[in-house]
Amino acid sequence: MLRFIIRRLLITIPTILIVITIAWGLVKLAPGNFYSGEKRLPPAIEKAIREKYGLDKPWYQQYGKMMWAIVRHGDFGTSLRYEGQSVNTIIRRSLPVSAAVGILAYLLALIVGVTAGSIAALKQNSRWDYSSMTLAMLGISVPNFVLGPILVLIFSLSLYWLPPSRWGGFPSRNLILPVITLSAIYMAYIARLTRAGMLEVLRSDYIRTARAKGLSERDVVIKHALRGGLMPVVSYTGPALAFLLTGTVVVERIFALPGLGNYFIQASLNRDEPLIIGIVAFIAITLLLMNLLVDIAYAYLDPRVRY
Amino acid sequence: MSTDPDLIHIPPETAITEGEFVRGTSLWRDAWRRLLKNKLAVFGLIVVVLITISAIIGPTVIKRTTGFTPDYIPTDDIRLIKSFPPFTGPDGKFSWTHPMGTDNAGRDQFARVLQGGQISLFVGIISTLVSLLIGVSYGAIAGYVGGRVDNLMMRVVDILYSLPYVIVVIVLLSMFRSQTARGQLVLLFVALGAVSWLTMARIVRGQVLSLKNQEFVMAAKATGVSTPRIIFRHLVPNTLGPVIVYATLTIPQVMLTEAFLSFLGFGVQAPLASWGSLASDGIQNIAIFPWQLIFPGVTMALTLFSLNFLGDGLRDALDPQMRTV
Amino acid sequence: MSKQKQIGLLLLLASIALAAISCNTSTAKEAFFGKTVPPDRNIFRYVTGDEPESLDPAISNGQPEARIYMALYDGLVEYHPKTLGPVPALAERWEANNDSSEFKFFLRHNGRWSNGDPITAQDFVYSFRRVVTKETASRNAYLAYYIKYAQPFNEQKVFVRDPQTNQFLLAKDFDDSTPPEPIAGAPLDGAKPEYTTADNSQTEHDGDFHKQLHTPLRLTIPGDAKGRNKLLDANPKLKAAMAGKELVPIQAEDIGVSAIDDYTLRISLVQPGPFLTGLLAHQAFRIVPQKIVEKYGANWTQPQNIVTCGPFKVKTWQPYDKLVVERDPMYWDAATVKLDEIHFYPMSDNPTIMNLYKVGEVDAVLNHTVPNAWLEVVKTKQDYMDGVEAAINYLLINVLHPPMNDVRVRKAFNYSIDKEAWAKWRKVVKPLTAFTPEGIFPDYPQPKGDPFNPEEARRLMTEAGFPVTKRADGSYTCPKFPVDQVEYIYNTQESNKAMAEWMQAQWKQNLGITISLRNMDWKTFLNVRAKLEYKGFARGAWGADYMDPFTFLSLFYTGGENGSGWLDPKYVAMVDEANRMLDPKKRYELLAKAEKFLIDAQPIIPLDTAAVNFVKKPYVKGMYPNAGSLYAWKYVYIERDPSKWDYGIPSLAE
Repeated sequence: MLRFIIRRLLITIPTILIVITIAWGLVKLAPGNFYSGEKRLPPAIEKAIREKYGLDKPWYQQYGKMMWAIVRHGDFGTSLRYEGQSVNTIIRRSLPVSAAVGILAYLLALIVGVTAGSIAALKQNSRWDYSSMTLAMLGISVPNFVLGPILVLIFSLSLYWLPPSRWGGFPSRNLILPVITLSAIYMAYIARLTRAGMLEVLRSDYIRTARAKGLSERDVVIKHALRGGLMPVVSYTGPALAFLLTGTVVVERIFALPGLGNYFIQASLNRDEPLIIGIVAFIAITLLLMNLLVDIAYAYLDPRVRY
Repeated sequence: MSTDPDLIHIPPETAITEGEFVRGTSLWRDAWRRLLKNKLAVFGLIVVVLITISAIIGPTVIKRTTGFTPDYIPTDDIRLIKSFPPFTGPDGKFSWTHPMGTDNAGRDQFARVLQGGQISLFVGIISTLVSLLIGVSYGAIAGYVGGRVDNLMMRVVDILYSLPYVIVVIVLLSMFRSQTARGQLVLLFVALGAVSWLTMARIVRGQVLSLKNQEFVMAAKATGVSTPRIIFRHLVPNTLGPVIVYATLTIPQVMLTEAFLSFLGFGVQAPLASWGSLASDGIQNIAIFPWQLIFPGVTMALTLFSLNFLGDGLRDALDPQMRTV
Repeated sequence: MSKQKQIGLLLLLASIALAAISCNTSTAKEAFFGKTVPPDRNIFRYVTGDEPESLDPAISNGQPEARIYMALYDGLVEYHPKTLGPVPALAERWEANNDSSEFKFFLRHNGRWSNGDPITAQDFVYSFRRVVTKETASRNAYLAYYIKYAQPFNEQKVFVRDPQTNQFLLAKDFDDSTPPEPIAGAPLDGAKPEYTTADNSQTEHDGDFHKQLHTPLRLTIPGDAKGRNKLLDANPKLKAAMAGKELVPIQAEDIGVSAIDDYTLRISLVQPGPFLTGLLAHQAFRIVPQKIVEKYGANWTQPQNIVTCGPFKVKTWQPYDKLVVERDPMYWDAATVKLDEIHFYPMSDNPTIMNLYKVGEVDAVLNHTVPNAWLEVVKTKQDYMDGVEAAINYLLINVLHPPMNDVRVRKAFNYSIDKEAWAKWRKVVKPLTAFTPEGIFPDYPQPKGDPFNPEEARRLMTEAGFPVTKRADGSYTCPKFPVDQVEYIYNTQESNKAMAEWMQAQWKQNLGITISLRNMDWKTFLNVRAKLEYKGFARGAWGADYMDPFTFLSLFYTGGENGSGWLDPKYVAMVDEANRMLDPKKRYELLAKAEKFLIDAQPIIPLDTAAVNFVKKPYVKGMYPNAGSLYAWKYVYIERDPSKWDYGIPSLAE
């Protein structure tokens, strides 16, 4: 197990460096720069700006300088578009926003999804089962960029109950619609996964044994069946995180939230090289670590798994 | 075998037991019968077929009957260059001309939604095919050859798997906006196809691993069949079950990814319209013209809904023991 | 059973949709757009535009930043809330010499930074020098180029001095095109008073620096060897004169700003600049705290370090989210400031902004925010703000390339565009036939250009050698016109494409000529246009840097990069003469004559004057839809008595 973890961590580092290099390469190859505005700048001023940001040095010097700073100090530099703000500061500032929405969404999805899925499994083929599974299918099929605006249309623009966009701090009314929008698809997936997992477990021998032994239905469900039902949910966490990331980008755009996803899109559009690379690297590290954690958790949950 | 991380990670429904393959060709007929018994899947199949047909011939039919193409702007009458609600004519009274209303330039929404369907389905299918081709070949080769080559190939997959793919795709698409709409589509195929081939490779590899020690493979090897033939003529056809299942899972996923990329502005460019770009256009005016979002959104949801039901049904049909996700 | 559930669900969805649609159309009856309830606290929530690049007023040239800078920083003068003319701020009064080439500003004594330090003339000297220092990389440095030696200093040029005599080479000896020296550049002459007012600076505060500024303009040549050699090779007279001379880099201390004493500032210009006081309200000329900037460097604008001097100071700043500023009790005019806080929301997506406004989450938004499609609904509301903007749209013509070098051809193309129809199509602009925005400058006798006259257009085109004939079906044709020698270029954007196609349709309809369109990305477009690498027409637009017609007319003052290749010394002379006038009325008359000369020469096809097009809640008072969309925040307040609200557009009359 320990060897597995160490091996995975060792692979992580070159992976991240490769990711950074790819992102840097793409940004460098692209046409355009970050200071093109409406008024054409006199050449002397343009030259001054280029020198100030080190853009006039040859490409290998820029690459070397960047990599050295990253590897040595974890310093991803300063944003090109935003004066005086280091990439690390920006990430630090925007991460809580994305994390808040993402974690809340996932928690909501877990609670509602597991509950609905379990009940559906226990009451298989009942009306509850069919309707909740159909709703779950809707949740998977309605894209978040359709669901979000419809929720905004009803609860904000027509009823004036909730704000249509923007971040209001934590906690605030502004969180409600984005969290619901983001969690819908996961709620659906988790409900279906839980139902499938529980159904499989409920059919198995050891549940029959537990029932035969006279355990109350409640104990059977909570102590045994649920555990089996949760396993696919846990193994889904890896891909779920990846979806959460892309879902967050869309939700942050729709609701104008100052999160990592929104910054990333802005940076891509602005050709803000250090910020793009910083965010990409951060996301890569997070994904890799989370995947590792999921694998470890899976090992604990399923004694058959050995690394 | 059980220590191979690939096999453990594959969701239970794709692990096909040995017994399946002994059944041979009647697998497909049995599967079809099972599919038809599933009412939801049949519903899904009908809707998908309907939408596909209307997406393919719809724009032409509309053009012949009403003269509206997805990009036709009625420039001769300035009263018509505005967004009409569904079934409303210029004077505000009921009219059959625009069942889904018009967008801000007076373009017929119905024609646009159908064209969006064309593009979305087209992109979905082609990208899935791309990822299929790459993934199946890669996985089959890795599984059959085994040993160090297999190890290396799977390490590459591991590394690629852990890349924040969509993020890199966004950077790629934002940096290299193609000048033509067609060029952008090609970029999209490449980007989207590249996202989903990894899991396909893993699945196929898993299958091939469990198949390659079977008797029919050994027989082929004994009679001197070359390795490529063994891989592609003997092994791959037997993996088609899970491949089809995964493909039907992938199409809606790819369509969703394309839609959200177009929504963000990185995907399909004007003058072509995909449901994602129609939705992002529609959201702009949702405060006063909500139908611009609702129709493309509902159509897309309906299509994905049906595709998912169909996929569920196919999975059930191909192996009842593979319970759905 | 499940199918019923599905159908039921779909019906539910449909009914929700219908309900939502009907909810929305009921807003047609309301007087205002959306919820109209004043906030509980005395705070003003405003969407200012894109996320500000920086809180350093020297750096950025965008409008969103400008409005924030106006809250945080003060300058010699402030923009008048209605006319945008100069209103005394840190300067109580000022004087100009007889040809407006030298100005003296008398500062108030009670100016304070937000940390309590007094504001002195030295702060202005420091800030002005900083704006034109190359390392600052300010995008606004060019606005300060009117100040003597500011431009060569910014471009890191050098003086040329004879080490033996300590004399500098003079510009006029080597460049025939140097315009005549303004009074501020001629040697001090006690016999001829420079100022017509009582305070004659020549007798009182004459330091060495002032005397030195009052010498003819020194020659400046590029500081880098490559540029210098290029110049010298082209100019043998200069090369010969360089023998035995030394190069002296231009320092910040050489530029024409000086503090005569703690509360008097002198600015010396390189040409007459009657428009200077209007220009000085621009953020480039607002002051920054020297001690703080020197101590913290690039981090001086961080909320924990920043020190400001405007009516408000920074309370909190979360980038991409909110900039909260609160009233500054140290501000010299704090008594006038009514608001307790302003919340600046950085957003640029118009529908999102309008949605926030509708739900009542913000109180006012920036200009150009109401999307075209919404105008039909929003324009009828009483919180819709309309008004002309100090910005124009036009087409540039490359006059160096035949057939566009024939003025008759150019005029024909101009005559065949119906500007009224264009304005109607665009909905928010006003048609324009001249080169300055219409109705912006009060008392400016703006000339009228040629109206829409397709007959005249065809006549001129025929006269120029490209006969236009009418076909049987009523359309026109002009077969002789070399369409391969003319194109229309624009930068890629949906609205520009629509505009190009509209122009193309007009010319086809009225002249029978189909011009080909070519689009390219912004950066390439700027380059191609500036270098005149196009044949025919290029899209153009310009917004005022300051409230004076010269900010537009100056585009053709130099040949340089006006994108048209048209340069007429007669025009330059007319503008120079106008700028030398001290009487503003006479100056306007001469500027208008120059403008008429310009539009008659037709290097451009004028199209429209932009409009402000935004919304503000009726309880927000003191905020006027002026031509620059720049608001002096100290005059803005929240009115809670509905009878005193703004019903409709508040008048811009003084």
